[in-house]
Amino acid sequence: MKKTLCFSILLLLLSTLLAACNSGGEQSANADGKVEIDFFHRWPNEPRKSFYDEKIKEYMEQNPDVHINVDYVLNDAYKEKVRVLVSSDELPDIFTAWSDSFAENLVSSERIMPLNDVIQEDEEWSSKIIDSQFGGFTFDDTTYGIPFTVDGKAFFYNKAVFEENNIEIPTTYDELIAALDKLQAAGFEQPLVEGLTNTWAISHYLGTIFERVVDPAVLEKDYNSETAEFTDPGYVQGLEMFNELTSYMGEVSTAIDHEAARNMFAAGEVPILYMQFAEIKMVEEAGDVEFGFFDFPEVEGGKGDPTALTGAPEGWMVSKNAPEETIDFLKFLTSEETAADFTKTDGQLNAIEGAVTEENVNPASLEAYELITNASSTAPWFDNAVNINVADVFMRGGQSLATGQTTPEDILKEAQQEAENQK
Amino acid sequence: MKEGARMIARRNRMIPALFILPSLLFLGIFIYIPLVQNFYNSFFDFSVFSPTKEYVGFSAFQQLLGDKVVMTALINNIKYAIISVIFQVAFALILATILEDKLFRRIAPMLRVIYFIPVMISISVIALLFNFIYNPQMGLLNSFLELVGLGNLAVPWLGNATTSIYAVIAMSQWQSIGFITMLFIVAIQKIPKELYEAANIDGAGKIRQFFSITIPQVKEALFVNMLITITGSMLVFNEPYILTNGGPGTSSMTLSVYMYQQGFFKDNMGYGSAVATLIFVVTAIFALIQIKVSGTGKDE
Repeated sequence: MKKTLCFSILLLLLSTLLAACNSGGEQSANADGKVEIDFFHRWPNEPRKSFYDEKIKEYMEQNPDVHINVDYVLNDAYKEKVRVLVSSDELPDIFTAWSDSFAENLVSSERIMPLNDVIQEDEEWSSKIIDSQFGGFTFDDTTYGIPFTVDGKAFFYNKAVFEENNIEIPTTYDELIAALDKLQAAGFEQPLVEGLTNTWAISHYLGTIFERVVDPAVLEKDYNSETAEFTDPGYVQGLEMFNELTSYMGEVSTAIDHEAARNMFAAGEVPILYMQFAEIKMVEEAGDVEFGFFDFPEVEGGKGDPTALTGAPEGWMVSKNAPEETIDFLKFLTSEETAADFTKTDGQLNAIEGAVTEENVNPASLEAYELITNASSTAPWFDNAVNINVADVFMRGGQSLATGQTTPEDILKEAQQEAENQK
Repeated sequence: MKEGARMIARRNRMIPALFILPSLLFLGIFIYIPLVQNFYNSFFDFSVFSPTKEYVGFSAFQQLLGDKVVMTALINNIKYAIISVIFQVAFALILATILEDKLFRRIAPMLRVIYFIPVMISISVIALLFNFIYNPQMGLLNSFLELVGLGNLAVPWLGNATTSIYAVIAMSQWQSIGFITMLFIVAIQKIPKELYEAANIDGAGKIRQFFSITIPQVKEALFVNMLITITGSMLVFNEPYILTNGGPGTSSMTLSVYMYQQGFFKDNMGYGSAVATLIFVVTAIFALIQIKVSGTGKDE
C-alpha cells in the first residue's frame, strides 16, 4: 500500500519527463480528402481568440478543400508547449513565435521551414511587410518567420497628474527620479508601479536600462552566448538604477502581476507605468485617464544608445513538414486586409504597410506607430536577446533586489558564471 | 493419468506468475524504465530542442552540489515536511479523536464532509482562491488583520521573500488536513470499544485515554500518514508553481519546481534529470528510514 502510494507519486513526477519523449505520427489529409492545417496561437483570451476563429472560418469558406485545426494556450504556457512540440514530430504546421533568441532556439531544432523562396516568389505580398522587422527572424541570411505585430515599450504617464503638479516630461534619468520624488511628495505613495511577479516585466526594464548605459559593442558581445562575459561596470550601474526605481514601487509590487499594475494605472492610482504600446487599448478600456507616453529617458554619462526603442515583433513560423497550402494560409494571415481588421479589433499595431491608418487606430496608437517605425534602432526584449539561463539570473535577481535579498554585484557575479557555463 | 497431473501442477505454478504479470508490466513501463532512463539522462547535456545528446559524465551532479538554489529548495522542502507533519499528522489525529468522541456524534458526519471538501477541489482552483486571500491590495487576510487591529502585521504575503514559502505551506495544510483526518478516523473506528470502557471504569480521563489507548492503537496509521506527508512534501510542485513560481527571487523554490524550470524553461534537460534523481534519492531515503523504524510489513 505504502509502496504503491510512494510509487504513484513518483510516477506523477516522472510523467512530466516522459511527456517530453513521446512522439506521434503525422496527418496531412483527413478522411474526406481535405487538407488539414494545424494552427497554434497564444490567445485564448479575447478579442484575439474570436478574431482568429472568424478568420479561420472565412478562410475555410474561401478554400473548401482545406480544414484548419486550431489550438491555443496563454503566453508562458505557450512558450513551454512550443518547446515541447518542436522536439517531437507533432509541431503544428503554422504557429506564432517571438523574435530573436526565442526564434533562434526553435530554428536550431531544424524543424522550421526557411521562407526565403516564399518571400522572393510573391513580391506583391512580401514587399508590404516592413523590412526592418524581419531582422529578429533572420539567422545566417535565412528568414524563418514572417513578422506580424510590432511593439515598443515606453513610460505611460497620467497627463492630468503631471499638469496638476507642474511636472515636465523627463528627458534624463535624473529628471525622472526628480519627477518621482515630486509625485511622492504630492501624496502618491507609489508614483511608479510594476507587477514584479511577471519576470518578463523585469527583463523589459533591465533590457532598456542596459541599452542606455552599456556600450552597444559590449552589449552585442554579451548578447551572443559564445562571447558573453557581463563584466562591464555598466551592468552594476544598471541594476542599481533598477533597484532605485523599485524603491518607488511600494511594497505590493513583488506580489502583483503586470495586469494588476496596469489596472492601478488605468484607475488613476499610479501616475507612471512602463508599458507596451500593445496595451494602449487595454488601458483605454479599463479606465478613463488621459495618458501620454515618453521613451525611457537618456542616462547622463551612459555609454549606450540614448534613443533606442525596446520592442520586438512577433510573427508566424511554418513547420518544415507543413502541407503547401499552409503558405497560402500564411499569406492570408499577413495580408493587408487581415492586418487592418486585426489592428481595428485588437488595437495592437502590425508590420504590414498600409494596415495602420487613422481609420483603425486612435491618435495615441498612431503616434506610437510612428515612434516604432522611425526609431533609430530597436532592441529586442532582454529575455529574448540573451540566453534564457542568463536572463533568468537577471530576472530572479531583479525580484530579489526588489525584496532586498541580494545586491547588484552578487547578481552580476552569478550572471558571469552562468554565461561561462553556457559556452 | 500421471502425465495429466503433472501438467496441472505445472499450470498451477504458472498461474501466480500470470497474476503478477500485468502489474509488473505496468510498473516496468511507467516506473522502472523511466527511473532508469532519468538516471541515464542526467549524464548528458541536452535541451528539448536538440536532436542529439552530449555526454558530460558526472558534471551535472557536481553542479548540483554547488548550486545555491538547490540548497534553498531542499531547505524549503524540509520546512514543508516539518510543518506538514506537525499540522497535518499531529493536528489531524487530534481532530479525528475529537470528531470520534461521543459528544460530537450528532454533527461529526457533517464536520467530516466539511473538512474533506478541500481535498476534492482542484489544486489550481484552490491556488487561485488563495491568491485572492493573500492579495496585498484587496486580499481577505490583510483586510481581516486590519479589521482586528493588527494592520501592522499585514504584509504582501506572496511578495515577501521571508513569508512566501510559509504562505504556500499554509495553503497545503488547509487543503490536506481533511484527507489525513479521514484516514485517522478510519483507524480510530477500528479500535475495540472495550478498551475505552475499561479505561473509563479505571477512572482515566479523555486526555489519558488519548495518549494511552488511541495513539498506541493507531500507531500503524500514524506511520503511514507520516510517510505520505513527508514524501508528499519532498515532491510538492503544484502549490508553489501556481502561487509564486518559486519567487520572489528563489525564496519559495522547491526541488520539483526547480527541476521543471531547469528542464522546460531553461532548456537544461540533463541538469533537470539530475535534480529529479536527487529528489528520488531523498524520498527513497525517507521512505526507507520510516519503513525501518515503523517495522511495517509484519502483520501484528
